[in-house]
Amino acid sequence: MPMFCRRNVLSGLFILALGVPAFSNAYQLFVANLILIYVLLAIGLNVLVGYAGQLAFANAAMFGIGAYATALLQVHLSWPFYFAFPAGTLIAMAVGLLISLPALRLSGLYLALSTLAFAQFTQWVFSHWDNLTFGAGGFKSPPISFAPLPVSKPVGLYYLSLIVATCVTLFAQNVVASRIGRAFVSIRDGDVAAQSLGIDLLGHKALAFGISGFTAGLAGGLYSQLLNFVSPEGFDLFQMVIQKATIVVGGLGSITGSVLGAGAIIIILELLREAKGAQEIVFGGVLILFVTFFRRGIVGSLQQHFRGWDEPLHSARPIGSALPSQVRLGEKESLS
Amino acid sequence: MLLFSYLLLGGITTGALYALVAIGLVVVNKSTGIINFAQGELFMFCGFLAWMTHVQFGLAYPLAFIAATVGGFLLGIVTDRLAFRALAKTDIVGLVLATVGLAFVLRGTARMIWGGKGDYLSFPPITSPEPVMIGDIMVVPQQMAALAGAIAIMLVFAAFFRFTRIGKIMRATADNAKAATLVGISIQNVYTLAFGAGAAIAGAAAVLAAPLTLLYPDMGFSFFIKGFAAAVLGGLTSLSGAVVGGLLVGVIESMAGGYIDSSMMEVAPFLLIMLVLIICPTGLLSLHKTRDV
Repeated sequence: MPMFCRRNVLSGLFILALGVPAFSNAYQLFVANLILIYVLLAIGLNVLVGYAGQLAFANAAMFGIGAYATALLQVHLSWPFYFAFPAGTLIAMAVGLLISLPALRLSGLYLALSTLAFAQFTQWVFSHWDNLTFGAGGFKSPPISFAPLPVSKPVGLYYLSLIVATCVTLFAQNVVASRIGRAFVSIRDGDVAAQSLGIDLLGHKALAFGISGFTAGLAGGLYSQLLNFVSPEGFDLFQMVIQKATIVVGGLGSITGSVLGAGAIIIILELLREAKGAQEIVFGGVLILFVTFFRRGIVGSLQQHFRGWDEPLHSARPIGSALPSQVRLGEKESLS
Repeated sequence: MLLFSYLLLGGITTGALYALVAIGLVVVNKSTGIINFAQGELFMFCGFLAWMTHVQFGLAYPLAFIAATVGGFLLGIVTDRLAFRALAKTDIVGLVLATVGLAFVLRGTARMIWGGKGDYLSFPPITSPEPVMIGDIMVVPQQMAALAGAIAIMLVFAAFFRFTRIGKIMRATADNAKAATLVGISIQNVYTLAFGAGAAIAGAAAVLAAPLTLLYPDMGFSFFIKGFAAAVLGGLTSLSGAVVGGLLVGVIESMAGGYIDSSMMEVAPFLLIMLVLIICPTGLLSLHKTRDV
């Protein structure tokens, strides 16, 4: 087995991540924690968009629902974090499944619009249902304590995030390598063909939405603790674009790609912290650049340059294959 | 009655602007099969171009109109050449993400040039701001000017498609790209033209909208999503459908804001979109067509 392969790189990153709190200052630890949260988001979104091929824009909303639900259960019902967090995650997952209901009938651009509309609606609820969500100004979420354990809150939260992110990575890796993952890919590459192979289209689409809602909910709960503050602003369209950028840069249809993409994007984001305009230009530019010239993302070039790097279900089609050109020739019916 | 007519007129005016955004989307979608997610940002960007011409350089309003329309057209052509032409061979996910990327590049650029922190630029009105009473109906001249402008643009656009050679070429390509190639039409150029035309109409809409709304870098997205909703209501490929859809979105928004609660104004169109997509996904005006979803 070659040294530089998927498994070794992920294991290396994990060992590196274990040591981060030992040799980093408070800000670096915060950024590392943020990366772990985006790893969760990217994996969920990649399962939905990269594997199952559903062009959905509701991930930022589900992220927000996870954060709001976790924090509000603590504030309103004074639940401890360890109950509120799983409950918040389940709520986000339930919402994910709920929006998959109309999505099961829609595809392509129609799905994009209905999920965008849902995301806008969620934003509106966050900022207008004052009694429940404290309105547009946001609210403070009570910090967790890791009392019996001898760790400070940032370090404890970091390791909690690391555990969650590792479990989700392993879980997602196994799911996509299984029959379910192959079913997702077959739906992405041609849903009529998938159906004729006996794949339950509706069930698998719902499952993909459920998985992305689940991971977005986990990420939301951790995010509310990381910032100790929840407000509608954090879950807007720009958030959605950051998440899309992570999976496009990392590689659509690759769990490893999600991990690498999340790291790369968050580091760029933090470097440009000062100027919002510059952030938007760089992100938009990165998105166009990767979609146009590096369709296969980071893992695509890794695969090209290192023998033994396997990405069996990676989505980028070779440029010039039959299907895509039809998009522009107006033969939409064969695609959708 | 006063409230109703006021809301109705206001709704029709904003609806006409949404219709213009929707027409831009439909023109691009008809010939290329892409929804340009940057349509709202093109709108915003052209609005700022008009502001620069009219307010900063002190030129007349018609010149600002020309600047925004021509600027939009060039912007559309440049983006097609730079990004979308290279993408012709990727799938729909890639194309949509590229237009989203473009939207953010435009938004960031506008923020760098004209923005600041939460800066809202106001565009001077072209008519007197005082409302006029005609019988029982209160009329805001500025709204009427925007509405008249929107109708004029729609007519010009319809005439362009119906009577000019280029318009006919674009219609032929939208109808059947392969057959169009066979009779010697360069499809690539038609795509470029479609992006240009879509962006130009966004520019024209922006100049009409600018005196009614304030200008700010984040304004594009809400216009885009409402224009998109209007286009979907009309079935995504029908220009007249886009107009009806736009008016519908505008009026519903205005009525919900006036009769239910002012905060409902922002959210009513989205509830409408979700409802329509769930009940009849092909749009209200294309019930007879086969499903494209």
